[in-house]
Amino acid sequence: MRRRSSQLTIAAVAVALGLLVVVQLRSQAGVGGGLAQLSAQDLTALVANQNARNDQLRGEVSSLERELGTLNQNAARGEVSVDELRSELSRIRAYAGLDPVGGPGVTISISGPIDGFGVEELINELRNAGAEAIGIGGVRVVTGVVVTGAPGEVAVDGTRLGDSFELAAIGASDKLTGSLTRSGGIIAQLAATEPDVTVTVTPVDRIELPATIRDLVPAHGRPRL
Amino acid sequence: MTLRWIRTRPSWQVTLGAALLALGFLIAAQLSSEGPRVRYTTQERTPLLETAAELQSQQDDLRARILQLRSQIQDVESRGAGSADLVRQLNDGLEQARIAAGLIPLTGTGIVLQLEDSQQPVPPDGSQSDYLVGSRDIRTIVQALWLAGAEAIAVNDERVTPTTAIIDIGSSLLVNSAYLAPPYQVTALGPADLYQRLSASPGFIDFVRARAEGYGIRLSFAEPPSVDVPAFVGTVTLRYSRPIASPAATPAPSGN
Repeated sequence: MRRRSSQLTIAAVAVALGLLVVVQLRSQAGVGGGLAQLSAQDLTALVANQNARNDQLRGEVSSLERELGTLNQNAARGEVSVDELRSELSRIRAYAGLDPVGGPGVTISISGPIDGFGVEELINELRNAGAEAIGIGGVRVVTGVVVTGAPGEVAVDGTRLGDSFELAAIGASDKLTGSLTRSGGIIAQLAATEPDVTVTVTPVDRIELPATIRDLVPAHGRPRL
Repeated sequence: MTLRWIRTRPSWQVTLGAALLALGFLIAAQLSSEGPRVRYTTQERTPLLETAAELQSQQDDLRARILQLRSQIQDVESRGAGSADLVRQLNDGLEQARIAAGLIPLTGTGIVLQLEDSQQPVPPDGSQSDYLVGSRDIRTIVQALWLAGAEAIAVNDERVTPTTAIIDIGSSLLVNSAYLAPPYQVTALGPADLYQRLSASPGFIDFVRARAEGYGIRLSFAEPPSVDVPAFVGTVTLRYSRPIASPAATPAPSGN
């Protein structure tokens, strides 16, 4: 009898231990949805990024709250908010690339045997540095536009760009310049792998970018309600 | 319970031994399944981890709030519809612009590609990062999908917009500054033959050869009857850019 109960105790302890281990490992793996595998350095970068993103989102929340407030006030007075609709339309069209835009930023002169993927890497870095609108060879870079081609034969939307061409981005010019030209940054990496490619970044007070000529409304999708 | 008692009953020891063996096996299995991504266990990371988790939860709340406000705004706006031609025109324009900007979730034909880390052992002279899915892989896939005719793309829950950057953070990704962990699902809305077009495209063929065949990056695809692409939840307010009045833009944008 004594022997049996002690075995039962041990079995119970073993089961509990096993459960504990699984729960513990699961909870560690689950912290912040996989954050646990990041190094302290990566976590610091992530926190900085999250802070910046949350500030942006807070800005968007307050601007939407203002807009809703005005719309509701006008509706209560029986008025139609034509000005609000116009400014909202203008804001969204500028973001999507449906209207031409102007502002400060950088121009990037590129020459030599760079390929389409290399140009896309520059564009990705510009977006990461907060570029609001980007153009290349007179084409607005909107959703779906991809720079393609072998070294020296890059093209955008089927138009060859030639041996030297210009990329332009609107945004904080110091931030855009700093992000591209920092040591170990995208231009340094390009210089190491493609020494014949020349990339020159110039801060500019005003750039104007055209509207896209693309139809950005999907033909194969519809709004999901 | 005395030691003597234990010695006279070896089955006790057998049970304990078996339990410990099972435990050890469990731990080893768990650790090995965690794979190469677990690399750090220092204590100074704990406050950072907590901060990151806290910021992530704030971000989730802000996103939910933005979606709620947007739907309320669209509600009020559409109630004004029909009252005048101008308002109806503006509302139609807004709907089209929101779809173009990625602010409206879409459903339609399309495909889902899933990318996962390689399970191949890293050779002694190899680099571990070559065997993990990185931002470059996702950018390559997204570009190949656009070129194949995709009309809207999302990576996990993040819609790809004109301002979307896809970058590495450790061995995970930031897309639209949102933290994404593997596996990565790239959902693309497009023509019914999108997969045929993609699999015939040079960019995709090169990718499969270099990454899937070269390093064992696991690439799988699904073609459900319809795919859902979420709305972009982020700011569309431009701080540096101002619209330039253009005769082509109708209705004419008013100055802010």
